[in-house]
Amino acid sequence: MTRSLTAAVARALGDIVGRDHVITDPDRLVVYESDGLTAYRVAPRAVVLPGSTEELAAVVRLLHGEGIAVIPRGAGTGLSGGALPTLDGVVVGTARMNRILEIDPVNRLARVQPGVINARLTEATRPHGLYYAPDPSSQSTCTLGGNVAENSGGPHCLKYGVTTRYVTGLKVVLAGGEIMELGGAGRTADGSLDLVGLFVGSEGCFGIAAEIEVRLLPLTEGVRTLLGIFETMEAAGHAVTAIISSGLVPAAVEIVDNATIRAVEASVYAGGYPVDAGAALVIEFDGTEAGLDSEADAAEACCHAAGAREVRRATEASQRAKLWNGRKKAFGTMGRIAPDLLVQDATVPRTRLPEVLASITEIGERYRLRVANVFHAGDGNLHPNILFDRNDPDELHRVEQASLEIMKLCVAVGGTITGEHGVGVDKRGYMKLVHGPDELAAMAEVKRVFDPTGLFNPGKVLPDVEAAHR
Amino acid sequence: MSVAASVVHPTSTEEVAVTMRAATADGVGVAVVASGRRFHGARSAERPFLVMCTDRLTGTEIYEPADLTLTAKAGTRLTTLAVELGAQKQWLPYDPPHVEERTLGGLVSTGESGPLWMGYGELRNHVLGLTVVCGDGRVLKLGGRVVKNVAGFDLLKAVVGARGRLGVITSVCVRAFPRPAVDRVLVLRGDSVAALVAVARAVGTAPVMPVSSVLVAPARAPSAGAALLVRLHGAEPTVDADQKTLERHCGVSFERAADAVGLLASARDHVADAEVELTLSVLPSRLGDSLVAVRDVLGDVPFAADTYKGFARVAAGESDSEATSRLRTRIESLGGALTARATDRARDVAGLGSRMAPSAAALTQRLESVFDPKGVLWPCRP
Repeated sequence: MTRSLTAAVARALGDIVGRDHVITDPDRLVVYESDGLTAYRVAPRAVVLPGSTEELAAVVRLLHGEGIAVIPRGAGTGLSGGALPTLDGVVVGTARMNRILEIDPVNRLARVQPGVINARLTEATRPHGLYYAPDPSSQSTCTLGGNVAENSGGPHCLKYGVTTRYVTGLKVVLAGGEIMELGGAGRTADGSLDLVGLFVGSEGCFGIAAEIEVRLLPLTEGVRTLLGIFETMEAAGHAVTAIISSGLVPAAVEIVDNATIRAVEASVYAGGYPVDAGAALVIEFDGTEAGLDSEADAAEACCHAAGAREVRRATEASQRAKLWNGRKKAFGTMGRIAPDLLVQDATVPRTRLPEVLASITEIGERYRLRVANVFHAGDGNLHPNILFDRNDPDELHRVEQASLEIMKLCVAVGGTITGEHGVGVDKRGYMKLVHGPDELAAMAEVKRVFDPTGLFNPGKVLPDVEAAHR
Repeated sequence: MSVAASVVHPTSTEEVAVTMRAATADGVGVAVVASGRRFHGARSAERPFLVMCTDRLTGTEIYEPADLTLTAKAGTRLTTLAVELGAQKQWLPYDPPHVEERTLGGLVSTGESGPLWMGYGELRNHVLGLTVVCGDGRVLKLGGRVVKNVAGFDLLKAVVGARGRLGVITSVCVRAFPRPAVDRVLVLRGDSVAALVAVARAVGTAPVMPVSSVLVAPARAPSAGAALLVRLHGAEPTVDADQKTLERHCGVSFERAADAVGLLASARDHVADAEVELTLSVLPSRLGDSLVAVRDVLGDVPFAADTYKGFARVAAGESDSEATSRLRTRIESLGGALTARATDRARDVAGLGSRMAPSAAALTQRLESVFDPKGVLWPCRP
C-alpha cells in the first residue's frame, strides 16, 4: 500500500516547485504508475515536476534528506520499466524542463534541458543545416533526458551510433542534490575519467541529467531507401550479412517479418508490402548524392543474390515515408492482433541472425505464442514482440518462460540481453546470464560512488538475490 | 627517485591476476608498459614498483570479418592487426601519434582516437568489450562482442582512456570498419596560422564532413610555415564531389599532395616526440585564440591541432613549469583544459598532469578506489 507524503514534505515540495507541480491526487497518479512496459504498475507517493536545475536539485536534496527514494522520469516511453515507481518513492519528472538552451552551429553543439523531446531538437537545428542523429522509434515523444538514461538507439544508429556517441557534456544532479558538471566538448584534455560515458545509460540510478550538451551532424545531401521483399526471414538475414560484409555502410538496415507485415498492411499505415512475403528489409543509404546510386545498386545485388522476390527503391520523401511505414508503425499496429505486447530487446552477432530467428520461431511455437519480429538487423539488435493477453494467467506465464529462453539463446551465441531498451526492472533477473558476481559487485560499488544511500531509482538494473532466477 | 624492482612479462590474464594479487600483498606498485614508447615519469614514483610488460600477451582471439568485430590480447601490435584486417579489406580507423608502434591495449588505455574520430567516431564508442584485471587481482569482463549493448552500467567507458588507473587491460574486442576505396588528403599551405584557422572553421561548418581536419606547424620540419590537412574517405565520385563542395564552401583550392598521408603522420609524430608534450582542448571556435596563447607563452613551437575537436598537441621541449602554468591559466580562461606530460629526459617536471574541478576529482578518486582499492596501479602518475 502506498504511503502518502506527510503534509510537511508535500508543502515543502510545493514551496520549491509551486503547488500545481506536486501531484498527490490518486486519480492523477495513475498516469505515472508505469512506463512503456505496462505489465508492471506501482503507484508512487507523489510526482514532482521541477522547472529548473535549481528546483530539481532542491527537490532531490529535500527528498533524500527525508530518506525518500527518487524515481526519475522523462516521457515514460521506456520499455524496460526503468521509470516504474516504488511504493515509498517519489517520481521526479522532467516534463517542465523542456527548453533548448543553446544551439551553437559553429561548434555543432546544442545544450538542452532533459525534458526536450528528441525530434524537437532536430526540428530546431534543421534551419542551421544540422540534426541530432540518434532516432529511437519513440522520437516524437521521448525526451533527451530519457535517451541519456537509457543510452537509446534507433534505426540509424547502425551508421551513426547510439546516444553515448553524441553526449559531450552533462550537468547532473547527484545524491543529496549536489550539482556537478561532467565532461564538456571543450574540455576533452582535462585528464579525467570518462564520467559522461559512465553516466549515460545508468538508467536513473546515478542521478538526473539537468543539462545535456550534444553533438550535432550536418544534414545529409541525399538518401536512397530500398525495400527488399523475401520469401523467408532466413533469406533476408543472409542478405543483411552480405550487405554488411561487402564493405557497404548503410545508414539503416531494418527487418520486419510476415506477422508484422500483415498487421501493418491491415492498418491505415499500409505501405504496400506483399502480405504473403516472409520478410521485408528496409535498407537506407545517406550521404553525398554522387555516391548513393552505386551503393544502392550494390545492396540491391546482395538482396537478389540472397533470393529476394523483388527490390523497390525510393528517392522522393513521400515514397520513402511509405516504405518506412511498415517498420516505423509496426509497434502501434500490433494492437490489432492482441491486447498486450511485450517488446523484447536483445543483441546477437549479426552473422548468427538466421539461426537465431529460426530458433525464436521454434520457441514461439513450443509455447503456443504469437511472436512478431521487427528489428535493427544491421546491428543484430532483435525485437521479438510477443503478443498476449495479460488477463490470461497461463499465457502470461508462457510469455515469461519464452522470454527467458530467447534471452538464453541470444547469450549462448555471443549476444546480450538488451541492445537499447535497458535493464530496468524487466531484465534484472537476466543480468546473471551475462555478468559474473565480480562484474555485478563492481557495478554495485560504482552505483554507490554516485549514490551512497541508494535513493536514486532503487530496485533497477542490478539483480538482488531473490530476483536472481525467475 | 624510485627504482623498478623487477620486470614481469605475463602471458595470460591469470598470470596478470596472480601478479596483481602478489603486488597488493607486498605493497608494491605496478606500472604497466605496452609498447614502452610512452612510459614516462618513472622518477616520480613514490614507492617501489614492478614493471609489467604486455609484450607476451599477444594474438588475435576471435576475428569475425562478416560481423566486423575483432578480439585480441592487449599486447598485440596494431601493425599486426592491420595486416590481418587488411586481408579482409577492413581496418581500425585510429591515427593518434605513432599509432603504428602501439599495441591494442595501449591504444585503448590512452583512449586516443586521433583526428579520424571525426569520420568514424571515438575509439571509446567502438571498444565493445574488455577484460581488465583490477588493482587487487579481480578479473572483470566488461561489455561483450556485439555492437549494441546496454546491459547494466557501462563500466567499460571508465576504463577506456583511464591510462591504467583502473586496471590492466588484457584483452579487447573492437569494432572493425570497411577500408574506404579512396583515401585523399587535401593540403592547404600558408604562413599565417590565423588564416588557416579561418579556413579550418569553414571546413568545420561545411555541409559535408571530412574524416579529419588537422592544422600542423611547421608543415614539415625544419621548414617554416603551416598546413591544413583535410582528409576525405569514400568512393571516388563521393570524394570528388565532397572536395568540390568543400572548396566552394571554404573559398579555397586545396592541393592534392602525393605524400600527404606521410606529411600528416610526420607532423603529428614530431610533436609527440617532444620532452614535454602539452595537450590542450577548447571549443573548436576558440582554437585560434588558444594557438595565439601558445605562441604568446611558448613562442613558435611545433603543434598539431584537430580543428574539428578543438584539440591540440604542442611540443613544449624547452618550456618550464612556470610557462606551463601560465598557459594552463590562459586555456582555462577560454573554457578549455590542458594536460602536460614529460619524458624522463625532461629537466623540469613541475606543473605536469591536469587540473580537474574539485568535485569531479573527488568522484574520480572514489571510482579509482573501486577498481584499485590499495592504490597499486599507476605509481608513476605525472
